[in-house]
Amino acid sequence: MTEVVRLNAVSKVYGKGHGAVAALREVSVGIPAGTFTAIMGPSGSGKSTFLHCAAGLDLPTSGSVRLGGTELAGMNETQLTELRRKRVGFVFQAFNLVGSLTVTENITLPLTLAGVRPDPAWLAEIVRRVGLDGRAGHRPAQLSGGQQQRVAIARALVTRPEVVFGDEPTGALDTMTARDVLVLLREVVSGLGQTVVMVTHDPVAASYADTVLFLADGRIVDSMSAPAADKVAERMTRLGAWT
Amino acid sequence: MISFAWRTIGHRRAGFAGAFVALLCAAALVTACGMLLETGLRGAVAPERYAGAPVVLAGDQYARHTKANGKTKAKLLAERRWIPERIAAEVRRAPGVTKVVTEVTFPFAGFTAHGWESAALTPFTLASGRPPRAAGEVVVDARHRTAKIPGYRVVGVTAQALPSQDTIFFSTDEARRLAGRDGLVTAIGVFPRVDVKVDGALAYTGDARGTVEFLDAENARVKLISLGGALGGTSLLVAILVVAGTFALSIQQRRRELAMLRAVAATPRQIRKLIGGEALTISVVAGTIGAGGGILLGLWLRERFVALGAVPENLALVVSPFPALAALLATLAAAWTAARVSARRVARIRPVEALSEAALAAAGLPRARTVAGVLVLAGAVALTILLANLSVEAASSPVSMLTALVWTVAVVLLGPAIARAVTALPLRVPGAGGYLAHRNLRAGTGRLAAVIGPLTLMTAMTSTILFSPATLGHAAQQELNAGITADHVLDPGASAEAVRQAPGVRAATEVLRTTARIELEKYGVQAVTPDGLDRTMDLGVTAGSLDGFGGTSAAVSRTAADRLGVGVGDRLALTLGDGTPATVTIAAVYARGLGFADLTLPHELVADHVDDPRATVLVSGGERAALERALPGVTVRDRAEAAEAGTSNAAVTYVAMGLIIGFCAIAVVNTLAMSTSARSRELALLRMVGTTRRQILGMLRTETAVAAALAVTLGTGISLLTLAAFGAGMTGSATPYPQPLGYLGVVAATVALALAATAVPARFALRARPAEALAARE
Ligand SMILES: Nc1ncnc2c1ncn2[C@@H]1O[C@H](COP(=O)(O)OP(=O)(O)O)[C@@H](O)[C@H]1O
Ligand SMILES: [Mg+2]
Repeated sequence: MTEVVRLNAVSKVYGKGHGAVAALREVSVGIPAGTFTAIMGPSGSGKSTFLHCAAGLDLPTSGSVRLGGTELAGMNETQLTELRRKRVGFVFQAFNLVGSLTVTENITLPLTLAGVRPDPAWLAEIVRRVGLDGRAGHRPAQLSGGQQQRVAIARALVTRPEVVFGDEPTGALDTMTARDVLVLLREVVSGLGQTVVMVTHDPVAASYADTVLFLADGRIVDSMSAPAADKVAERMTRLGAWT
Repeated sequence: MISFAWRTIGHRRAGFAGAFVALLCAAALVTACGMLLETGLRGAVAPERYAGAPVVLAGDQYARHTKANGKTKAKLLAERRWIPERIAAEVRRAPGVTKVVTEVTFPFAGFTAHGWESAALTPFTLASGRPPRAAGEVVVDARHRTAKIPGYRVVGVTAQALPSQDTIFFSTDEARRLAGRDGLVTAIGVFPRVDVKVDGALAYTGDARGTVEFLDAENARVKLISLGGALGGTSLLVAILVVAGTFALSIQQRRRELAMLRAVAATPRQIRKLIGGEALTISVVAGTIGAGGGILLGLWLRERFVALGAVPENLALVVSPFPALAALLATLAAAWTAARVSARRVARIRPVEALSEAALAAAGLPRARTVAGVLVLAGAVALTILLANLSVEAASSPVSMLTALVWTVAVVLLGPAIARAVTALPLRVPGAGGYLAHRNLRAGTGRLAAVIGPLTLMTAMTSTILFSPATLGHAAQQELNAGITADHVLDPGASAEAVRQAPGVRAATEVLRTTARIELEKYGVQAVTPDGLDRTMDLGVTAGSLDGFGGTSAAVSRTAADRLGVGVGDRLALTLGDGTPATVTIAAVYARGLGFADLTLPHELVADHVDDPRATVLVSGGERAALERALPGVTVRDRAEAAEAGTSNAAVTYVAMGLIIGFCAIAVVNTLAMSTSARSRELALLRMVGTTRRQILGMLRTETAVAAALAVTLGTGISLLTLAAFGAGMTGSATPYPQPLGYLGVVAATVALALAATAVPARFALRARPAEALAARE
């Protein structure tokens, strides 16, 4: 299987000297194409940092990150942005959308910024898939939290990226809405062959993934295939997340 | 990007309102100043009295000086330059000339007086009666047909009257006698319109004839140029500062959205373009509306200046599209500059910030800002030193504004560091509100820094504007109090001879005020009669003596002597008010130049070179009642009243600079309202967890009070430094004079404005139910 993302001995240290915090320590991992990966771990274990480094939002202190075969080290901010624009989609926990733009405009924002015309057929397809038919002209303020996350997912898909990253994409939603969004993400992977990497602290959310990677203290300490929610919860308890 | 910018502006109206208002006010101010400036440069007064003469020959009203490098500079003379009458005979022989009319002009009891010889210049014709022939006869204009002229008989009334002057005609000989300039005339009218070139006079045609007729309009024009320039420049600088502040604040408030854009797909350049596009879009709209309003403001300003006597009624405002266009361009430039500065900050927003949950506070003070702050601080110090060495008000006043502004810019740049230092102090206000305020100030030093900017600006600018004339006036007042030793002071018009005859009078000094130029530099002059001078005024002589003052002697103030590098016994070449050159010998140097004048010359030397030879009379001895009886119709003041009236009138400056103060006040309201309304979510959260409205308002009040106290301290410091330097240069003493009541007023107004600008938006924010406010997305 080809790997969309490859991290080799990636370390990230925040700050200098005495106050330095090692958020990631020598992490090496590959994310295979067309899979749904969940990253779990106690708070402060380095999940977000992992995501930032893997997605080219931040550069690691040492080690190598390859995104779809391209080495990120040595790229400047503009090159990184252009790379993200083409190859990466994002779904954040909240504040995903630009309030002044309509749903359609928010979805096509990465294309607008890249100066590329959207493909109408593809746009219609993803709008239908995320269930936003008839909402195209609405503003974010007129949508519920779940609908806003759907817009964000559609935006993440619009450039046909190699990988979609989500940082607690369901963290701000109620259980029912969260389930709908997770079903959608699962469907994106199974139906479209999209690669998705999602940070979460919720075992139920993780159970929708193909693989769960467990982070503790900046290291990948375990992984689990075909995870079930109760198994994940048990593993997390042993990592000290809920003690 | 522009259409995207437009959408963002439409959506975030509140966030952009601050910058919009600031730009609008800036455009209005710059337009108004531009109109004054343009009027100064191109304004013309239509001739009234000379309307009927195709060509008017008159003196060159400029003192011209050719420097060593060959450049010629010209400065307006304060008094009319008369021309030799023999020119008339010369012109009469010129080919094509059919008629030549000479005239003299002089003030007489509120009238502008002439000889009947010059009636044809207008032309004036008789409606009734006959021309004045004998010395005791006069003709008055149509508006004054019933007027009584003491000592003269009205023998005729003209059919005309001029709009902006009251005219009286004497017989030609009597007029020459009263004007008192042997062999000289004011002007010569030439008929018909032919090219005439003569030595000793210039030919004026068309509207240029108006400048000869209305010398005060020429003076006002020159004043408008410097006032319009200073006011326009200051408001432009204030505008850049204010606009940059509001832009920075609005960007700080949208940090998360911009970070999200960065994360999703926008390059730093695209973000800069977006911000620039927003700035340009707002400034086009604000600039256009503001420029329109500025035209009204300009008209209003002119009206005020006319009412204050600084601009003559008949000098109309030049209305053209140029000031409005210039203001629009200036507004665009200011917005663009502000956007560039703010965009530096934006480019540093890391996309990672979009993913973090907490709204991140701005990162630490960036190196570039600190460096810029320190450089500007050095500039402020340099300007302060320069200011301390300026002894001419025309230079000192604008430089003091600039000094205060540059100090303020330094404070704004170093604001975050100042805020952090101050909030680190272990001070606490009691109560829950105080506790929260303390915490908020510590956490949000960026917000505190943004708020102290305009508050400091307002305190510093207001104090400097109000108290620099006060500092000067106070020093002049002190000198007059000490220097006028006469018992009474008579307003111009009293006959000195009659005063000397009055019972009990020991000495009477006639004092004329005019100006002279030394190498084009303007100096105030008082011309005095030397007899009994030691009994009426004490100039505080520090070198030489005033004994035997007269002829071509002169006394010079210490400031002027220092500037000119001269001392007792030196000879000084000067140009009198009407352009006549004179050479004087310095007999004394004195201390009280500010209260009296920089130059003291003998009355006899100057009297023939001023337009209005009526002198103020200082009287030693005698009774007020006796003087009033001996001199009917003359105002008699005592020493204190005279000293009071002698200090300069700063009303024009106050009107003009008042606009800048208003602008600063708007900036304060702007910033505080923006800063408070952006916190509605935070306030809703506080209410959700059980904070009462009162506690929240108390918290906000405390925060603003701390900001205001800090800003007032900084602003006071800035203005004290500026005023001390101003005083050191102008008065020789570095003690500023902030009128205590005025200062308290400034502080109270600043604090009250800040509190009101916090409370009103806070109440609005608290009106929504907390759950709703929280649900509303950012
Ligand atoms: N910008 C930063 N500066 C300093 N330390 C940071 C920064 N971001 C994260 N950290 C630290 O790095 C560690 C990992 O953080 P993070 O990746 O956010 O963890 P998680 O998302 O798993 O909660 C934590 O100890 C955190 O305090
Ligand atoms: Mg995290």
